[in-house]
Amino acid sequence: MGLSGNLKNFPFPDILQVIAKEKKNGILLVEWKDLIVAYYIKNGHIIFARPVDKITRIYTERNFPEILKKLRVKPENIPKILEKYLLQRLGAREGIFSLIFGFVRYKSDEPITIPIEQVILEASRQLTPMEVRRKISDEMLTFTFTEDAKEKLKNLKLTPVEQKVVELIDGKRTVADIRKALFPTPEIDVDRALYGLWSAGIIKRVRRGKRHKPEGLSLDLLKRIIEKVKDL
Amino acid sequence: MGDKEKNQELKDTKKPKKRIKILISGPFAAGKTQFIKTISEIEPLTTEKQTTAGKEKSVKSHTTVAMDFGKITIDDEHELYLFGTPGQSRFDFMWDILGKGALGIIILVDSTNPETFHEARQIINYFESRYPVPMVIGANKQDLPNAWPPEMIKAALNLDTEDIPVVPVVATDKESVKKALLTLLEQIYKEFG
Repeated sequence: MGLSGNLKNFPFPDILQVIAKEKKNGILLVEWKDLIVAYYIKNGHIIFARPVDKITRIYTERNFPEILKKLRVKPENIPKILEKYLLQRLGAREGIFSLIFGFVRYKSDEPITIPIEQVILEASRQLTPMEVRRKISDEMLTFTFTEDAKEKLKNLKLTPVEQKVVELIDGKRTVADIRKALFPTPEIDVDRALYGLWSAGIIKRVRRGKRHKPEGLSLDLLKRIIEKVKDL
Repeated sequence: MGDKEKNQELKDTKKPKKRIKILISGPFAAGKTQFIKTISEIEPLTTEKQTTAGKEKSVKSHTTVAMDFGKITIDDEHELYLFGTPGQSRFDFMWDILGKGALGIIILVDSTNPETFHEARQIINYFESRYPVPMVIGANKQDLPNAWPPEMIKAALNLDTEDIPVVPVVATDKESVKKALLTLLEQIYKEFG
């Protein structure tokens, strides 16, 4: 089943984040104002982009090596194609997307030209302040690294601001602390870096403090509440 | 029974019940009022007003401006209160007021509208950064054909690395609402047990 949405309200980094986390094969179809582009996903990475005249074409042509053959695309040209149809469009907002997992058949040796995490960072650099505030919504947010952060970072090209933000992530500093430490770097650039790193699965949110146990709550009472709800 | 015992019995029946509070939060039109209505043993008290903002008006005609309130009697001494908080972020001061002393929070999202995921994330950010309480995300409207599955919503909300469950919900279905509530209660049991 396909997932759909509007890039105006659900920007590129957010949909790419779902693709990256699912690590599946499939197609992201974006109906831009001027053309329709099918983005081919393999194991959570976009490995190819192809403008299509008819949407039905992507459902009938499922064999990826055959598609490349038919389009006469040489592997060395794929980075240029991705630059034109993916990277140059990351800042555009006029698009309706559908994400369909499965059905594309790949060989095992298709290369990943640009890691999805790099595409997420690039897309996050182009977010508006309002879009950034949706995710970096609280200055008390605190981050730490994910388990595979080091591995991911090895393959990424960070901006100087992103690099500095990475150096300040320690599981204790809040967004406000990081902004303060990087002053006079504009807050929006710091927040975009945090947005990108979080969406790319390099950092994750840390809960500040322990969860509060409400006063007067005993396990016996909790058991009674559970039984009551079960019997409703 | 002597007068003294009768008086004591009368006193006991008049004794106010202890209130346990669960918060039902989430973005505009996520289904909070319906969720409470489905499970509450009383007709929920709501503070609804006509929607005025253009975009909100096109989604539904009335919205909660202060809170919804439902109740489940646990025993002679305890009542479980369900408080629904307004979804729009301009009412976020209510999260703080109602969140204090809450047993836990169920945050509902409209699974058919990814635009609403942002507001849900803001609520999660708020509580996790300032006032952490046990939390469950209810992926509502799972009966609709274009609903995002719970695992995708988990990925979209950056919850894949955290112990916050995302459960499928159909707010009009009692069993589904019970399941979401039980997931939260089991979380609380796990946390404090």
